[in-house]
Amino acid sequence: MKANARHHGKVTVVDLSGKITIGEGDIKLRDAVNALLDEGRKNIILNLSGVSYMDSAGIGELVACYKRAAEKGATLKLLNPSGKVQDLLILTRLQEIFDIFRDEREALASF
Amino acid sequence: MGRRVKLKLGSRIAYVDLVHEVAEDLARDAHFSKSESLNIGLAVREAVINAIKHGNAMDETKSVEVEFEENEGSFRVRVRDEGPGFDWEQTADPRTERNIFRSSGRGIFFMKHFVDRVAFLRRRGRGTEVILEKRLQPAGRAGRGGATKRRKG
Repeated sequence: MKANARHHGKVTVVDLSGKITIGEGDIKLRDAVNALLDEGRKNIILNLSGVSYMDSAGIGELVACYKRAAEKGATLKLLNPSGKVQDLLILTRLQEIFDIFRDEREALASF
Repeated sequence: MGRRVKLKLGSRIAYVDLVHEVAEDLARDAHFSKSESLNIGLAVREAVINAIKHGNAMDETKSVEVEFEENEGSFRVRVRDEGPGFDWEQTADPRTERNIFRSSGRGIFFMKHFVDRVAFLRRRGRGTEVILEKRLQPAGRAGRGGATKRRKG
């Protein structure tokens, strides 16, 4: 899994690619979000368009990131989950928790 | 009687990807669609993670056995650990208001969603066996034994 952060003013978009699974992807996701929160970034968008799938550990880490962001007064939103990732978000009802966008401009403007 | 493939691994998370890949490949060979094969791979992945984490409690000296069997009408996977067992009946629905913010507890839920049948057997003094079963698709059965279409690569 790869994570690259782009800054658009006060909003940071993290482009994620690969799979977010136990032992590697989940840790990289945690590290990427923690680094941004430690920098004091408050508005974070995780771009999931390049993520092929996640397992329960990956989904769990996504929830953990959401909670850590909220604890630090930050907001985490999702952009463009792919087919399988979207299925998992619906299956787990997490699509009701996360703000999910299809268009990056809309996501950026939502903060 | 179809083919049978058996893997025996140490309890290391690093092996989970390997088992997932084998599961997905064998499912494709059994003529499941790409999407269904990924679902089977994900179910097997979760069963193996459970066996390593909750069954064998991350003890690398304990083994996890994974047996794949394509049989008349079904694709069956057995995942065995050597641990004292875990209480699969106590797993809560991760979608409820109470559990949705939990960062764990979705593995068995995923297994049950991705295959047609999940069964847990406690083997006296020999750990737990999880059986995952997915019915073969009609097109797959029709193609078996004849001029079957093989997956590229």
